[in-house]
Amino acid sequence: MSEDKIIRIDPVTRLEGHGSLTLKLGKDGKVKDVQFNVSSTRFFEKFLEGRPMEEAPRIASRICGICPIPHHLASVKTVEAAWGITPPPAAVKIRRLMIEAKQLSSHAIHFYALAAPDFVFGPFADPSVRNVAAVLKHLPDVAVQAIKLMEFGQELIKTVGAKAIHPTTAIPGGQLTPLKEEDRDLWLGRVPEMLENIHKTVDLAKKVVNDYIDVVTKVAVAPTYYIGLTNKGVLDIYEGTVRVMDPEGNIVADFEPKDYTQYYGEHIPDHSYATHIYYKPVGYPEGIWRTNTLARCNVADKMATPLADAALKEMRELVGRPSHHTFAYHYARVVEMVQAAEWIKTLLEDPEIVSTDIKLSDVEPRAGEGVGLVEAPRGTLLHNYESDDKGMLVKANLIVATNNNIAGIEKSLMVAAKQIFEDKAHESLKLPEPMVKT
Amino acid sequence: MAEPVSIAMGQGSSCWGCFQSLIDIHMNLATVLPALDIKYWQCVTDYKLSDLEGYPDKSIVVGLYEGVARTEEDLHLLKTMREKCQILVAFGSCSCFGGIPGLANFYDLEECLDVKFRENKTVSGGKVPTENVPPFEPVIVPNNQIVDIDIYLPGCPPTSDLILTAITALLKGEEIKLDPHTVCHYCSREKKDTPIEKVLRPYEGIADPDRCLLEQGYICLGSATWGLCEGQCVNKGATCRGCFGPPPPIMQDQGANAISMLGTYAPLPPEELKEQVKDPLGLFNRFTYATSHLGSMRIKREEAKKR
Repeated sequence: MSEDKIIRIDPVTRLEGHGSLTLKLGKDGKVKDVQFNVSSTRFFEKFLEGRPMEEAPRIASRICGICPIPHHLASVKTVEAAWGITPPPAAVKIRRLMIEAKQLSSHAIHFYALAAPDFVFGPFADPSVRNVAAVLKHLPDVAVQAIKLMEFGQELIKTVGAKAIHPTTAIPGGQLTPLKEEDRDLWLGRVPEMLENIHKTVDLAKKVVNDYIDVVTKVAVAPTYYIGLTNKGVLDIYEGTVRVMDPEGNIVADFEPKDYTQYYGEHIPDHSYATHIYYKPVGYPEGIWRTNTLARCNVADKMATPLADAALKEMRELVGRPSHHTFAYHYARVVEMVQAAEWIKTLLEDPEIVSTDIKLSDVEPRAGEGVGLVEAPRGTLLHNYESDDKGMLVKANLIVATNNNIAGIEKSLMVAAKQIFEDKAHESLKLPEPMVKT
Repeated sequence: MAEPVSIAMGQGSSCWGCFQSLIDIHMNLATVLPALDIKYWQCVTDYKLSDLEGYPDKSIVVGLYEGVARTEEDLHLLKTMREKCQILVAFGSCSCFGGIPGLANFYDLEECLDVKFRENKTVSGGKVPTENVPPFEPVIVPNNQIVDIDIYLPGCPPTSDLILTAITALLKGEEIKLDPHTVCHYCSREKKDTPIEKVLRPYEGIADPDRCLLEQGYICLGSATWGLCEGQCVNKGATCRGCFGPPPPIMQDQGANAISMLGTYAPLPPEELKEQVKDPLGLFNRFTYATSHLGSMRIKREEAKKR
C-alpha cells in the first residue's frame, strides 16, 4: 500500500465551499480511489432547534452566501407548510421574482467568474492568469456584460428582499414589503439591456461549447440518475413536484416534496462532511443522482419560457437527453439564465407584482411538520422542520443542493481520473487556441 | 497607476457571503481588481494552500479572513493568514464575533454530530467521517482569541459600499473612517417614546410602516446594533436582528445592551416578559454569542473539560 501514489489538490479552487481532492493511484498506475473531501460543516440542523420557526428563514439563509434566497424561501415555505398557511398570490410572485433574480446572478457569477477562465485562457494556463481578474484585464467587454448581469440580479433582490445577501422580507404568511410602483418601473426600464447581455451570453456559451466540443463530449461523461423540480413537466425553480430520471432517461419518480423520505437516501461517507444523497429505491451507490443545471434540463420536458425552450432544444440537438456530459452543465446553466431573464420580465409586467396584499394578518402557529423545496442554482434544496404548538422549532433536516451532487461529482471525477492517468486521453483531445494567449 | 497591493483572502467555515458582497461592488471591480495583487483567494484564483504557506512572513500587505474556526483546517488557515499578512482584517460578523455558526456553541459538539451524521430523518447509524477531513474544534473560539486582529469589518455580510470604502482606504494605507451610529439613526420610522404593551412575533398582525417597530411590540435590535448597514432591513419592514454587531467599542456586549433597551421600552412584569420573548439567547446574541459574556463562559467550560 505504501507504494500507492496519493495526489492531493488542496483546496479545490473556484468553487463555493470548502473541499479538497484525494486521488489514489496504484503501483500499476490504475486509479484506485477518488475522494471529494468536503472539509467543513457548521451544524445548522442542530442550532435551528429551539429557535422560533419564523426566525428560521433568517438563520438558514446563512448556510450559503451565494444562494441565500433559495434557503430563505425554502425555509419560509417549510414553516408555512408546518403551520398550514397559504400566503397571498402576490407574495408568491414577489418571492418568485427574488429567486429568479438569484438564479440570474448566481449563474452569471458561475459562468463568467468561476468557469470562464478555463475556456478563455485554456485549461493549461498559469494559475496567476486563470481567473476573473485576468478576464477583466484581457476581455473587458466580456467582463462588463458579466458584471452587469450579476448587478441586475443582485440589486433586484435587494429591492424586494432588503438585502441582496441574506434577505429578510419573507415571513410566514407572506412578504413584509411590497414592490413599489416606481421601483417596478425602474427595473422594467433596465430589462432590455439585461436581455441584450443575456443574448451575448448565449452566443459566448455556444462558441465555448463548439470550441471545446471534444472536451464536452469526451471528458468526464458519467451516467447517473438525475433529480429536479418541475411544474407539470416544465422546469421550475420555485414550486412543483420532484422528478427523478434514471441513467437511461426514464422518469422513474415524480413526487410531492412532503414524501421525500421515500425517495431520498443519505449516505454518510467516511471522507466527506457533505453527505451523499441518492435515489433510495435503488440504493447506494447504484442510485447516485446528480442535481443542478444539467439535471434540471434532463428531467424537464420543456422550459417555461419561449427563448429558453428554443435554447434547450438546441442544446439537446448537441448533447441529447439525458445528457451525461459533465461539461454540458455550463451550457444548461446558460439555458436556465435565459429562463430566469424571461421570468423576470414577465413578473415585472404583471400588474399584481405591485399589489400591497402580500401578507396574512392572522397567522397562528400550530404543531406539525413541514417540507419546503425549491431549486437553488446548484440544485434541489429541501428543508424539513417540526414545529411545536407554540411555533418553536423542534427538529430540522436539511438536504442542501450540493449534497445531491457530491457522489455524482466523485463519479465523474473517477471517469476523468481514469481518462487522464490510465488512458492519457487528455493528450489527444482537440483543444482550440485560447481566446486569450498569455 | 500605483503598484498593485498584495492581498490574501481566506475562508474559514463560512457561507461565502462576505466575498459575494465584495463581488457586488459591481462596476467598481474594474478599478479595484487591477489594484490588487491577489496572492490567495480560493474561490476566485487557483493558488493552493501550499502557495500561501510558502510566502515569507508578513510579505502580504492585507489579509481578509471570512468565517470561523470550526475545524483544524480553519484554525491553520487563520494562523497562516496572520503569519503572512501585515494587516489582518476580520471580514464579516462570523470572523468578528462568531456569527451564526457560533450558535453551535449552545450545544456540545457530540450533540451536533448526532444530528448531522448519526441520526436524523434520512440518516440512521452513520459514523462521523474521519478520512482526509480535518477534525472539528470542540467549540467555536472567536478568531480574536486565536490571533491578533487589526481591523474588524462586521456585517452579515458587510455591505458592498462598506467593503469598497474599507478596501479603498486600505489600498491607500489610510485609516478607515466609519460613523459610529446605531441602526436607528438610519431608520426612517417615527419614534414616539411610548411603552410596549405586548411583545409581538414578527408574523403577527400588519405593522405600521411609519412607526418604530420596537414601539409596536416587534423586538428590533436596531438600537444595539452598529448602523453600517444603513438600516436596510428596518426600512423594508423587517426587524433588525443585529447582524452588524455592536457599535464601537466593538467588543461591548450587544445582547446585554439589547436586553437593557427592551427593559426600558417594555415595562412589563418579568414573568410576562419571559413568557413573551421567545428564545432570548438566540435573539439578542444571534451574531455575537461567541464573543458575549455568556458565550465566553461557555468556552471556558470547554477549556475546563480539557483540563
